[in-house]
Amino acid sequence: MKTIYLASAAALAFSASGALADGHVSHVFPVGEGAFNWDSYNAYADAFDLSGQELTITGPWTGADAELVNSVIDYFESATGATVQYSGSDNFEQDIVIATQAGSAPNIAVFPQPGLMTDLASRGALTPLAPETADWVRDNYAAGDSWVSLGTAAGPEGEEALYGFFYKVDLKSLVWYSPEAFEEAGYDVPETMEELLALNDQIVADGETPWCIGLGSGGATGWPATDWVEDLMLRTQSPEVYDAWVSNEMPFDAPEVVNAIETFGTFARNEDYVNGGVEAVASTDFRESPLGLFSFPPECYMHRQASFIPTFFPEDAEADFFYFPAYEGEDLGSPVLGAGTLFGITDDSEAAQAFMAFLQTEISHEVWMAQSGFLTPHQGVNAELFGSDTLRQMNEILLDATTFRFDASDLMPSEIGQGIFWSGMVDYVGGEDAASVAGRIQDRWSEIQ
Amino acid sequence: MSPILQGIITIIVGVGGCVGYFYAANLFLDKVLFPARGPNAGRNINRANMVRPWVFLFPAVFALGLYLMYPVVGSFVRSLYDRSGNDFVGAGNYVRLFNNPDFRQAFFNNILWALVVPAVTTFMGLLIAQLTDRLSWGNIAKSIIFMPMAISFVGASLIWKFVYAQDPDLGIINAIRASFGGAPLDPLQIPFWNNFLLMVILIWIQTGFAMVILSAALRGVPEETIEAAIIDGANPFQVFFKIKVPQIIGTIVVVWTTITILVLKVFDIVYTMTGGNYGTEILPSFMMDFMFRDDGQATAVAFVIMLVVLPVMIWNIVQARKEMR
Repeated sequence: MKTIYLASAAALAFSASGALADGHVSHVFPVGEGAFNWDSYNAYADAFDLSGQELTITGPWTGADAELVNSVIDYFESATGATVQYSGSDNFEQDIVIATQAGSAPNIAVFPQPGLMTDLASRGALTPLAPETADWVRDNYAAGDSWVSLGTAAGPEGEEALYGFFYKVDLKSLVWYSPEAFEEAGYDVPETMEELLALNDQIVADGETPWCIGLGSGGATGWPATDWVEDLMLRTQSPEVYDAWVSNEMPFDAPEVVNAIETFGTFARNEDYVNGGVEAVASTDFRESPLGLFSFPPECYMHRQASFIPTFFPEDAEADFFYFPAYEGEDLGSPVLGAGTLFGITDDSEAAQAFMAFLQTEISHEVWMAQSGFLTPHQGVNAELFGSDTLRQMNEILLDATTFRFDASDLMPSEIGQGIFWSGMVDYVGGEDAASVAGRIQDRWSEIQ
Repeated sequence: MSPILQGIITIIVGVGGCVGYFYAANLFLDKVLFPARGPNAGRNINRANMVRPWVFLFPAVFALGLYLMYPVVGSFVRSLYDRSGNDFVGAGNYVRLFNNPDFRQAFFNNILWALVVPAVTTFMGLLIAQLTDRLSWGNIAKSIIFMPMAISFVGASLIWKFVYAQDPDLGIINAIRASFGGAPLDPLQIPFWNNFLLMVILIWIQTGFAMVILSAALRGVPEETIEAAIIDGANPFQVFFKIKVPQIIGTIVVVWTTITILVLKVFDIVYTMTGGNYGTEILPSFMMDFMFRDDGQATAVAFVIMLVVLPVMIWNIVQARKEMR
């Protein structure tokens, strides 16, 4: 935080002295200072001149995230001379559909998940990315092939092309805990799933509660449970089975899936394992759920949630995380579940193409990395620049993954992945039988095919 | 441009535009089209007066047609096509709906809402209007009861979320249970009865509205009829139920139907409190599940809602017009 403050103070001093080429852009980190890859910035600035052009971008980022993305866009503006209008919306998924249908689409849209992007691509609302982009992703991103295939979709004529460029990744296979509480109780961080299960029982034996789980999220109640099920799928089945589940080649009510749901149930439906009892799981808001880690005495010791969650921790919380471990007995390596946002072109222009090229520069990743809440599979960036050790360690987990798989519910048709899968998990935690929940989800899926 | 300035300019342009339209249209009619001069002055004045109402009505009719009638027809047409909007499926969407157990649940819940909320709200409103009439501090009581009207549905839901909270330190229900030594439970997860807990929120918001309207109606009951009844030896209950209520029955119906129409549009309470989980789904929140995903299904649900509202609406308008006379 302090560095940001100093940096922005420096930037202010800079702009006040009129040293910046164009006075209307102020940078978070002054160009040419620090360990940033300024060569990539300068090379890009020399290659592109878009003076007087305008570019509109809409995305799901609002509030603090919108400021962060704008801090990256500032560099694009100063490098090219273009003016960028970014607008964030909490209802982005609906807004973008309406905008494309009404013919008022922005130049670039930032999709929170590939499902929506695929949908719009098939309707012809997207322009394929420049042909060389796919090779660039393969060469420069860790597990590049999987990022290419996730961003690839079929166009209106059924021809496959790369439509989405991944920028900003979230890591989901994380368990958050309070090191202080662990030390106090004498618990060790579990390295395998077997150790984790042993720890569960030890915590219960000590008269404490191991987990805080909260599924509440207004209209999206239930989504945190889908992450649990996906993580457990990857830890009990091969990646191929996971892929078959995502594409519905393997039905949703197959025994493999029901088993993963029931494994989640061994955590969430166990009265002794969850803070507040099973009933509280569905009603606790996911943003409030982790607070139990930091209460005194701790209401729970562990909280499985994606990399964004520290945003909702108390100001002074001492938190750390460990990788949600795999079963030693299963021999499935160390699978990682993640998600990410994709940039797609909804209204093609020279500036839009140039912006996509800008996202391939190291600097565009480093500027956000050095602040907060940003992970990237880009291998060319300077990891020293991460705003915190936490981020750096997460990024290592991301780069070390033997298997990386994208959030399944984000890949499924939105009626399933952002609808009945969520509410089905709420019903399951509420006591319904796993097989019957899975059966209902499959019925709906069969209906829409 | 600052939003305040934008707002002010919008108001000026909007209001000025309206005034300008009527003034200019009137001028055009009287001076250019049918001038009240020359050989046909009389005929022209008559003609101008025939045309004038239509000229004045035109903006309203045009706007209603564009923003109300066209979407209704458009929605109905859309509901006859499949999810992508390319293939005609006829009544397929409707058949699918009625075969969907979730839809039947939502439909049943909605009927429950439409029966319970208007009845309780109108009854409470009437009761409070009558009881506060004779109190010295009745107006203060009325103001307090009317206050929730000013809160948005989402805001009210958030307040009630605390009332129903599972934490005994926050939730009133669980605090009472805890004082009797009961374990905390989540009231919103009790099947079937949770619907009523959600209805309480809407009743809480709307009672003030019913009370204000009915209170005005009660004041309009002629004193002579009440005096006559008292002289004839009627007790207060008979005065109220046999003298007052029959005289304001028209207003009661209008209030009742107005609230019914409102109930059939409510979705934010369900969305905020339970997200439609635990069997609390109602039609509008069910429609939201399909919006932008399967517009065929979504428009079919919208149309079902409209068919349910329509008779209530017609009854409401007929009664309101009777009241006017």
